[in-house]
Amino acid sequence: MKFKTFIWFVGPSLFLMLLFIAAPLVSVFLDSFRITQPVVQTVETETCSAGFLQQTCTTTINTVPVIDEETGRVVTTTEWVGWLSYERVLEPRRAWDAIRSFDYNGLMQIDFWAALRFTVMFTLVTLPLVIGVGLAIALAVNNAAKSLRGPIIFVSLLPFIITPVIGSLSIYWLFVGDGILTRGLEAWLDRDIAMFAQAWTIELLMLFYRVWHVAPFAFVIFYAGLQTVNQDTLESAIIDGASRWDRLRYVIIPHLMPLIVFIALIHLMDSYRVFDEIVGFRAQAYVISLQWLTFDFLAADDAGNRAFSRASASAMLTMIGIVILLIPLLRRTWRDHKGGSH
Amino acid sequence: MFVKRLALAGAVSLAATTAYADGHATCSFENETEVTMLSAAFEAWVAVTDAMVACGNFEPELDQEFRTKQPEGFAANPSLYQLGGVSNGTITPLLNAGTIRPLDDLIEAYGENLTPNQLIQIDGQTMAVAMMVNTQHMMYRSDIFADLGLEVPTAWEDVLAAAAAIQEAGVVDYPLGATMASGWNLAQDFNNMFVGFGGTFVNDDNTPNVNSEAGLAALDMMMRMTEYMDPEFLVSDSTYVQQQFQQGRIAMANLWASRAAAMNNAEESQVVGLIATSAAPLAMEGGAPATTLWWDGIVVAANISDAEAENAFRLAMEGINPATVEAAPDAAIWLIPGYEPNDMSAGAIATATADPAPPSYPSTTQMGLMHTALGNELAAFFTGDVSAEEALAAVEASYTVAAQEAGLLE
Amino acid sequence: MSDIPRAMRQPFALKFGSAAFLAFWCLLAAFPIFWIAVMSFKSPVDAFAASPFDVIFGPATRAAGDGLSILDIVVGVVVLFYTVKLALGWLPRKVVEWAPGGQVWAGWIIGVIGYALGFVLFFFFVLPAVLGVLNPILGPLGNPVLGLTTIHYQSVWVDNQFYQNFLNSLLVTGGVVTVSLTVGTLAGYGLARSGSNIAFWLLIIALIFRALPHSVLVAGYLPVFINSAEILRPILGENAPTLYGQPLAVIAVLVSINQPFTIWMLRSFFQNIPNELDEAARVDGCTHFQAFRWVIMPVMWPGVITTGLFSFLLAYNDFLVTSLLLDATNQTMVPAIAGYFNRETTTTDQVEAVAAAVSITAPLFLLVMVFQRQIVSGLTAGAVKG
Repeated sequence: MKFKTFIWFVGPSLFLMLLFIAAPLVSVFLDSFRITQPVVQTVETETCSAGFLQQTCTTTINTVPVIDEETGRVVTTTEWVGWLSYERVLEPRRAWDAIRSFDYNGLMQIDFWAALRFTVMFTLVTLPLVIGVGLAIALAVNNAAKSLRGPIIFVSLLPFIITPVIGSLSIYWLFVGDGILTRGLEAWLDRDIAMFAQAWTIELLMLFYRVWHVAPFAFVIFYAGLQTVNQDTLESAIIDGASRWDRLRYVIIPHLMPLIVFIALIHLMDSYRVFDEIVGFRAQAYVISLQWLTFDFLAADDAGNRAFSRASASAMLTMIGIVILLIPLLRRTWRDHKGGSH
Repeated sequence: MFVKRLALAGAVSLAATTAYADGHATCSFENETEVTMLSAAFEAWVAVTDAMVACGNFEPELDQEFRTKQPEGFAANPSLYQLGGVSNGTITPLLNAGTIRPLDDLIEAYGENLTPNQLIQIDGQTMAVAMMVNTQHMMYRSDIFADLGLEVPTAWEDVLAAAAAIQEAGVVDYPLGATMASGWNLAQDFNNMFVGFGGTFVNDDNTPNVNSEAGLAALDMMMRMTEYMDPEFLVSDSTYVQQQFQQGRIAMANLWASRAAAMNNAEESQVVGLIATSAAPLAMEGGAPATTLWWDGIVVAANISDAEAENAFRLAMEGINPATVEAAPDAAIWLIPGYEPNDMSAGAIATATADPAPPSYPSTTQMGLMHTALGNELAAFFTGDVSAEEALAAVEASYTVAAQEAGLLE
Repeated sequence: MSDIPRAMRQPFALKFGSAAFLAFWCLLAAFPIFWIAVMSFKSPVDAFAASPFDVIFGPATRAAGDGLSILDIVVGVVVLFYTVKLALGWLPRKVVEWAPGGQVWAGWIIGVIGYALGFVLFFFFVLPAVLGVLNPILGPLGNPVLGLTTIHYQSVWVDNQFYQNFLNSLLVTGGVVTVSLTVGTLAGYGLARSGSNIAFWLLIIALIFRALPHSVLVAGYLPVFINSAEILRPILGENAPTLYGQPLAVIAVLVSINQPFTIWMLRSFFQNIPNELDEAARVDGCTHFQAFRWVIMPVMWPGVITTGLFSFLLAYNDFLVTSLLLDATNQTMVPAIAGYFNRETTTTDQVEAVAAAVSITAPLFLLVMVFQRQIVSGLTAGAVKG
């Protein structure tokens, strides 16, 4: 295909991505190296606030931004600060001190490192679980009677299609306080249980939720893949006397390998950005994730303050983390590209 | 849903309510120009905006993301919204950016229903008109207190003593509830206790001042409270505490006044008529009740023409006139003439009129940063990961970085 | 079953184990959704009751006079069963029969909407009316045994005008699916047929774009969108639009965010269509575009439907973008539901939120029920080989 034709085909998509992803990305990148802040002045103000019977007036020294007389906008200055925002997020000195003195708890008091620990743990634990559970369901469905497959596939897909906010809420309600399942567990184990009162139970619930939510996606892809397993290969394997396990190990899994890579790729990216679970399970007192950290920097407080520079730095760090995780998979894609191009 | 609840509340003022529920609230003038408004979405705002809708050409936007949208929307030229609903926390960015206008002329022309205690004045200029106040105060199960012969506590030490007695009697799951969900709620509970112990959040030079005796005392008191609370307190927000009350699982809590009416809603509550309110307890003798006062009110954008502003303000006055109070008497502790306090608002009024009175929540940029820092860092103390001193030091460090980034500190 | 070779036959233990695992999984997959559906039909006291039996049987709801008799339940279950049965068998047949060739997709859309409307009409209006007459006649069979109220659905859909949000969601979702597929198939085809390094690096960059946390992107859009009238005025003059609150702007954002996934997926579909096909067309004198439109697209439908479903899910379920960039009049369903929680939420609000949540899940149900075979066959035909 000629380059010009190629651009005609790819153009619209490329344009959208450049405008709505690349442009913000560049500004995020730049923002992580600079800080924009208002010019402030200190003034004495008398504030009278509403009261039930009468106003209450107080006089305080206040720091307020300077407003430009002509434009009516707040006067701001922008300064290039180098790695300052990254340092504020990473707190390298404090982290290094904690590492040197083997103070794990101390390290976990730095938001970024606590978030990184959970994010990486979350990603690496859910990855094999999602692939394993997805494959198991696919094999089991493939094994089920033909007439049952339709309804089973339908039910299996439910956790995947349901709106994430609602899915995590529905599970949260089953467990929070004296939720129905917490009561069940209490009756079974004969002890008082509070699922949201310590970190590990919340982490367990979040892991469970993610596997519940994503395994159906892996399942349906694997199930489709199983339909294309070469029957001749399978039969010759049987003639060779391969056991059921051997057939799975040497015929089916290699056939599904590209799919496993595909799922792993998607899943690594998505779970490294874990966010919905933290919000849905209100977990931030105990565990936070990298995207939640970015979100928290960005969230406006009552006074309208947002930590743009630190948010940008933490977003860049999240991206770098994902790219590192993806490198092995990308190298494989590169090989395929070189080998398989037409 | 809202209409239905109104219909219930309407036993008090039947005639007005039916008119209201049918969407035929009356308006003294026909609004000709398009007016938009952005505010929070709680019930009092629904009542106010519903009254304004009756005048026509009015589009309220009751949005949970209003904190993020309001500063941007008002800064646009022309402003995206003519009116805004704010509280003493969320007025700060608008004040700082100068995107809301002084209202004194307009009040003179159209504010005949307003009373002086509704006006929010900065250096003598009225910047907002308040319609309601809110505060956290004591709510307790009057039946349990009567059965056990307990006095209504007026100080936090008494609260703990009463909690111990209730625990002993074993009549409820947990004697105490509190809105200590990590983040905004937890920070607010700390704020209440901290000002109760006479603390000030920041010094005049913008440096933090929470790692002080008052801070330690506040944390210590809150930690002692948690012994009598549901162990999941770090996820319990106002709705959760309200539900705990309604389902009869707790006996007392320092809860928002705006939540009181729901306790007597027979549709969802199992404790109708059993909850009473009293002033927020004192943290230390001779101090103010350990709580802060909040108001909610209306502001008018600066980046619009004077004619538009005049029209919008006139419309706003329709929203906060006595008819609204009559239609939704329990939706808030109204500051609007015609409001008749009921039993459930006794606690809030006792709190607001106490001597010395609790302070208003400060409308400053520093307070916003401090609130976020408190909300993020204090949880580690309650999970037992760090000591009180370490937690407060972490709050100060986190505040300092944020203040440096915002240009408040060098 | 007898044509299965001996070695493929399974020992009982394996069969039993596999069946038990499946049953367990189905329970796990369906239970949370089943449970919120049950909650949405109860009065607030029942919905958050401590005992699971109270939640299921709803004594407080029943006491308030809302309930189902045995007759209601039996008739309801029978009707539901046949609805599903027809949706899986009769509906696809009729759609294929009636739709003119090549326009099957349009037939599907019309068929599904018509079917859903018919069901709602029959199940929620005709049936209650008929049963209302029958119940008092039948004595004990007609006495309510199961507390159930649709009041929350009423307040959500009628009083709170949730249908407005529903229509907005339809608009945004429909727009995203259409634009995303149009733009995506073009790009996917181009990428699949170009062996150049640029194509590869484009794909890799798209992958990295996909890795960017959405919250950062969205926060960057907000000030630009709100001030767009001011920013664009020098270019567009007085007609410069404010992009904030415009469904079209949100569609563009969602399409862009979803583009990386779409082009990766479609590219692998196209790769599985033999190159010889378009080469033959080219030999016959077609341009690249004509070959794409008239030769490749007709065999691409399974892939397009599957990818379209993923776009649909993304747009329909999106919260971050829609909640921040749309105003109240254009609000879609998911942020509208989230709004129930940040209000001065009462228990009634929560049950209503549950009812709203169940309502927005229902179209997804229908969609998957109808397209389920297409998803599997689409994936079998394409993406899974790449």
